[in-house]
Amino acid sequence: MTTFDGAESERKTSSLFRHLPVLRKGIGLVLLAVLAFAFLIPILWMTVMSFQEGGKMFDLRTEWIPAVWHIENYPNALSRAPFVQYFINSGIVSVTVMAGNVVFCTLAGYGLAKFHFRGSGLVLLLILSTLMLPLEVTLVPTFLIVHKFEWMNTYQGIVAPLLIDAFGVFLMRQSIISIPSDYIEAARIDGAGELRILLQIIVPQCLPALSVLAIFSFRDSWDQFLWPLTVVSIDSLRTYPLGLVQFGEEYGNPATEQMAIAVLATLPVFLLFMILQRSINRGFGLSGLK
Amino acid sequence: MVELTSGEPYQHGSLSGPPPVVRRFWQIHHRQRIRLWGIGFVLPTLLFFAVFKYGPMLWAIELSFNSYDMVSVPHFVGLDNYRELASNPIFRETLINTFVYIAGSTALTTIIGLALALAINTGIPGARHCMTAMFLTNLMPIIAVCLVWRFLLHPYGLVNQILQPLGFGRIDWLTSSATAMPAIIMVTVWRFAPYFMVIFLAALLALPQDYYEAAELDGAGAVRRFVHITLPLLMPTVFFVVVVSALLCARIFLMPYLITGGGPGNATRVLSMLIYETGFSYFKMGQAAAISVVLFSIMMAFTALQIRLFARSEQVYM
Repeated sequence: MTTFDGAESERKTSSLFRHLPVLRKGIGLVLLAVLAFAFLIPILWMTVMSFQEGGKMFDLRTEWIPAVWHIENYPNALSRAPFVQYFINSGIVSVTVMAGNVVFCTLAGYGLAKFHFRGSGLVLLLILSTLMLPLEVTLVPTFLIVHKFEWMNTYQGIVAPLLIDAFGVFLMRQSIISIPSDYIEAARIDGAGELRILLQIIVPQCLPALSVLAIFSFRDSWDQFLWPLTVVSIDSLRTYPLGLVQFGEEYGNPATEQMAIAVLATLPVFLLFMILQRSINRGFGLSGLK
Repeated sequence: MVELTSGEPYQHGSLSGPPPVVRRFWQIHHRQRIRLWGIGFVLPTLLFFAVFKYGPMLWAIELSFNSYDMVSVPHFVGLDNYRELASNPIFRETLINTFVYIAGSTALTTIIGLALALAINTGIPGARHCMTAMFLTNLMPIIAVCLVWRFLLHPYGLVNQILQPLGFGRIDWLTSSATAMPAIIMVTVWRFAPYFMVIFLAALLALPQDYYEAAELDGAGAVRRFVHITLPLLMPTVFFVVVVSALLCARIFLMPYLITGGGPGNATRVLSMLIYETGFSYFKMGQAAAISVVLFSIMMAFTALQIRLFARSEQVYM
């Protein structure tokens, strides 16, 4: 940087003002930390309450550090209803949906980004238009279709309508479009097959976008409530959100044990996020952030 | 193009270049084969959407002109389902609630998301960790979010405990019709604002820095830099966030369903809840399909906007 008059005058200012940027950053950090903490309060509250004594949840003053840590809330909650089975069901559904999205969104995204066939623009438009057709809108006919397939009360019935999401296709297309086409052409000249090009050239370069896709498709299917509610009526196929709501409605189940299940349900998503975090940040375009 | 000097017809091999490929009629050209691969990659997704998106929507439109209870055969009733909706005060209230919810949540999540992004983007060390912490609200299972907030918004819950020293009385958040919808919107903002913060942050990081250097040399203050540089450059992202947020909010189901159950009265009942109840509690499939068509029309308006924006932007969003 060239020297300007500003630099001259800055040198004359007192020592307090010379440290102003540092001071400002310090105050800024404290304010930001308080803000982030405020956002975390409900999550902390949930965690603390999952270790509290039954009645303490409705205290006039929240007891943030339990006098006694009731770790037994967890095994108690798990034994009051078949939550282990519910979690397994949710896991099967979520992992399948995540895998389906990763595979099919990558394929479709690649097809739309790097192949120019007649009508490819229209196809992109058609795919994006399904964003206005979430399950909440098509609930009744989707139910009737799954009913026709005789998939009521089956895993494929829960999984099928969730298997591909247009957002994922768009995300993958946008990520793949920035990969230079020369790589693909060079590989073709070397005699690589189309699937090999996809797996060895395209996929390694869009891992950040794939991580974003993975965490969101996992979260969305792990969160799914309305569809299993519609399609599942037998206990052994319930996913944990259905089980948890019913658990809350049954008389006499301590609210603290609901929180214990809620904490257990939160862990897999947070864990997956921690594993993929660096990649997700890059996928979001945040790698430049300090 | 090859220009022939003589009047003789062009012949393979007469010019230097790749040797001619003799093709039988069933063999397709190399370029065409690649194109077929492309179609093959997209086809599973298109077929899937045909069965689980376009098909159901067409069926919903057809069903909305019929009366069907899943037991007897559907019979055509013309516009009766829509007429019934138009004269149904609960439907009208629900429609208004949905719009109030979309407008309130979208405005607040956009503004707060942007404010959070600006706060993170100040270059403060450790800001990234604050961002990660806030983003956790977006990853927590929505069912846990609803259960926790139902307790936090209890008359003796934590929200009132925090507000009371500030001079507020005890607010019956979820049982008074004046505060139930604001309470749901508050939970929505807590859930979604950090997500849009991330999108705004990505856009802020991608802004060209030389504008700011030039403005600083010209002596523009932080406020003027924001109004005259950041905001205009960020406008496409703002539009994007508004549309995505509106689409997310239009389909909201679980928050009102679990936190207030649509009450008190119908104060927080939204269209998706009405679809579920009409279809699966009262088994009026035709009527439910008609509500679906209404919700679809609302979302179509937002999506038309969004596709126009998508077509313009080349940035990666999710």
